[in-house]
Order: sequence, then structure tokens, then C-alpha cells
Amino acid sequence: MSRAWLVIVAAVVLLPVVVRHAIATEIWIFAIFGLGLNLLLGYTGLLSFGQSTFFGSAAYVAGYLLKQYGINVFVVLAIGVVVGAVSAALVGYLCVQRSGLYFIMLTFALNQMFYFIAYQWTSVTGGEDGMPGIGRPAVLGVDFRQPLAYYVFVAALFLVSLWVMKRIVESPLGKILQAIRENEVRALSVGYNAPRLKLLAFVIGGAFSGLAGVLYAMLFGIVPLEAIGFVFSGNVVFATLIGGSGSLYGPVIGSFVFIWLSESVSVVWARWPLLLGVAFVIVVLFFRGGCVEAWARFWSWRAARRARVVPANADGAP
Amino acid sequence: MALLNIENLSKAFGALTAVNGVTLEVQPGSLYSIIGPNGAGKTTLFNLLTGQLPPTSGRIVFDGQDITGTPAHRIAHLGIARSFQRTNLFPALSLLDNVWVAAFARGRSWRGLAWRRTDRFHEVTERALAALGDVGLSEKAHQLARQISHGEQRQLELALALAAAPRLLLLDEPAAGLSPDETQKMVALVRGLKGRYTIVLIEHKMDIIMGVSDRIAVMHFGSVIAEGTPAEIQRNAEVRRAYLGGMAAG
Repeated sequence: MSRAWLVIVAAVVLLPVVVRHAIATEIWIFAIFGLGLNLLLGYTGLLSFGQSTFFGSAAYVAGYLLKQYGINVFVVLAIGVVVGAVSAALVGYLCVQRSGLYFIMLTFALNQMFYFIAYQWTSVTGGEDGMPGIGRPAVLGVDFRQPLAYYVFVAALFLVSLWVMKRIVESPLGKILQAIRENEVRALSVGYNAPRLKLLAFVIGGAFSGLAGVLYAMLFGIVPLEAIGFVFSGNVVFATLIGGSGSLYGPVIGSFVFIWLSESVSVVWARWPLLLGVAFVIVVLFFRGGCVEAWARFWSWRAARRARVVPANADGAP
Repeated sequence: MALLNIENLSKAFGALTAVNGVTLEVQPGSLYSIIGPNGAGKTTLFNLLTGQLPPTSGRIVFDGQDITGTPAHRIAHLGIARSFQRTNLFPALSLLDNVWVAAFARGRSWRGLAWRRTDRFHEVTERALAALGDVGLSEKAHQLARQISHGEQRQLELALALAAAPRLLLLDEPAAGLSPDETQKMVALVRGLKGRYTIVLIEHKMDIIMGVSDRIAVMHFGSVIAEGTPAEIQRNAEVRRAYLGGMAAG
């Protein structure tokens, strides 16, 4: 197992000791959400500003099924993944026809459309009040209403998601998506149907978002209207950029920083988003690769400094 | 039978006819050069052949199959690969990944597309490494495409086309922007490919063309004004007036 995985497993074990279980759980849920976005943003170079469409749709569908029928958790999760993937296929099909700013605006506009459907369809979604009363049915005798039990469940699903995403980005698809990001014209000319492969990235990203959406609904027992709103879409982009969109682990770190900051600092200081703003400016100006790049630069800087210090001592020079 | 038949092919952009009734025939295994001054329509002709642009009229027949209007990403699967006049790479990917992506595209199977690790595709990796070796870049396989020199980028440009194991290789000014030394290297490279591939070469440096070509077509204002062996082209009076004379005077 690589060092990155050791750190992540250690974090999974230690996190519930350090912060409240709900926050710890939310961090890994948001990380799954970020992994899905990063396949688009980091690997394919597509800034999707409408990821909450898939997150929210899955959350509503799963919430409704859990409330009305109380069906098996694994079935609900599977349905959520499918809802995320299908909604992403619909939205993605329209969006990949365009590129650049038009692409971003389309993801945003379609997100708004889903938002207003949820807002108006009060009989199902509860509109502004959200969809409350979602339970966490027990699985194999394990009571998921226990916060720690649910945390373990979510953390395990996060580790599986991370492993699946690792396989995807290390597969030919991962390379091809990066090639499309780097030069779509050349990717077409060497024989790739770029729009179709972008759509595939969308669908995979949507499936991850769907999984995160269902876990989120079960965590808080409610699907708030914000879960399908544009602020939520923005947050995941934001967290991913802070963590580092160029790396598989970037969104995981970003989720940790984002959720931890928003949950812990917001209690003390109501203007906490200001801090995020500062962090964002620093990232954009100095560390385009986010925390991951900052970390790598720190170590190479240290190594360079040591290399300079050692020969000086060997010479005995002052 | 010819591998490539271009029949009365035209492309108009509004009032400008960039390619005007071009008819050509390329024999398998030969090196066919297209020369002509800038703006003669050579690159547009390539763009028509590779599906980047749809022709206004005419036909393209590849290996007995009408491929007129086939989209770019399918052309590659037929076994037609091109290199670009302006370097057109994947800058942030390693040299190996650049050619690997091109080599993988040629396979007809999508099995393991999103799941198998890339280092398990031995056949693709071998073909990618062979393409890098062909252009002499094996040692830099793990550098990024944006970090190597312009001359090396031109070589990589060629490797991307070779990695697809093409049946027809379209080279668009492989020596564009190269120093005399680098140009010599590129000429040697192209000479080495001759016989292994059927090649159509666009070039406007005459010295490169004359030595290596089996046949030459001269384009001027979108039309082919002369076609024949290098010796015939050198004797052709019209070519001298339109092109060679102009170059010598310039």
C-alpha cells in the first residue's frame, strides 16, 4: 500500500476521535462528491458548475424511497448511483456539444432548471422546507442510527470509491481524458470520439455524485433544497480546487479542509466564508495545484535547502 | 490498384476555392509529395482527407472504399494517420503517454477501457515505444512533451502518427520551423520510413522533396498544375514559372 493510502486510512480511523461523528461522516461524503467532479475538472478539463444536479436528484429519489417504503440500504444506494448516472447522461449529452464558457453556462443553467423543479414540486420534495423524515434502516442487524456505525459504513464506501476512481484514472480512459483536456483536436485526429468520451466522464462523475447524495440524505435525515442548488455545485468545485484538481487525492484533501473549516470556524465566526475566499485567492495566485502542489513544493524546497547546507559544512566553511 | 484515389475534389470557403478539382492517385508503398507555395491549398487538402473538413464536391476513395465525409475520429480507425504542420501534441503528458494514447486508439477493442491498468496493455505499450524509437526519442520517454525542444517536438509529432500503425501516412511539412541541422535529421527520418509506409508528404522546401519522392504534384491556387516524377517536375516549364522560379527569385 502506498504512503497516500496509509495516510488516508489513518485519517479514516482518527477523524471520529477528533471531530463530531456527523462532521467526520460529511467529510468523506463530500470527498466522494469531489472525486466525481475531479474526473471532469482535473482529468478532462471540464468545469462543471452543475454537479449538485446529480447529487440532489439522487438524494431526493433515495429519500423518497426510504421514507415511503423503507427499502434496503444497498438497494437505495444502487438506485442513487443509477439516478446520478442517468441524470448526468441527460445533462452531459446537452453540455458536451459545446465547449468553454458555453459548456460551463449550460451545466449551470440545467442545474437551475432542476433546482426550480425541486422548488416547485412541493408535494414530493417539500420545496423550500426540504424533504424531512428520512431514516437509516438497519443492515444485517447493524443499527445505522448509531452515528459511529454510520460513520464506519460511509468511510468504507469512501475507500471503495477512492479505489474505483484510482483504477479509472490509471486505465486507458484516464489517459485519454487527459489527452482530450490537453488537445481535443489532436485527440479526435488520433481516433477518439471526444464528445462521447466526455459524456462517459460525465456519467461516471454523476454516479459518484449520486452515491454521495444518498449518503448525505441519510446522514442528515433530510434533503434540503440547497442540496440541488448552485451554491452546492460551487462548493464542490471550490473544495476540489483548494485540495488540488491535478491529483487523485486533491478533492479528498479539499473536502477535509472545506468541511472542517465550514463546520468548526462557522460556530466561532459567522463571516467564515471570508476565510475561504482568502484561501481561494492564494490557491489561484500561487498554488494552481492546490494543497497537493503546496505540499510537493514545500518538500522540494526543503530538499534543495538541505542540499545547499550539507556541502558547506563538509568544507568546514563558516 | 492505388491505395488512395482523390477524384475531382473541391473545397470552397465562400468565394475562395481553396482546393479546386484535385485528382490524384497514390500507389501503395510509394512516397508521394505535394508541393506548392503557401496558400496553395495543401493543408486544406489534408484536412479534407482526414475528415477535419467536409469537401464541397468530389470523392475520396481509400483502398476501394468511398470515405468522403467520414468524421475525423473514424478516419484514424481506417488506418490513415497524419502529422500536423503546427505542432499539435498533448503538452502536459509524457512523451510515452503521447504516443501511447495514439497507439491505443488504433485497437478496435474497448475492453478494459476504464478498468485495466495501462501497463497491462503490453502490445499497445510496445507499439508506442517502437514509434518513439523510430523517431529517436526513446531516452526521453518520461519527459513531458512541453519540456522538449522544438525539433524534438516535430519528431514526436511524427511518432504520434506512426504509433497508430497507419496504412497511409500524411505528413504536413514535418520540417516546418527546423534549423538546417534538424532538417537534415528529419529528412533522414522520412527517408527511413519510405517503403515501410505509404506516405503523402506536403513540403515547400524543394531540396527535401526531390531526393525522396516517387511522384510529385505541384499545387497552385488550389489546383494541381503539374504531376509526375521528380525529373519530369524539374523540366516542367509551367512549374518553373509558377513556383520554382518564384522561389529562386525570392
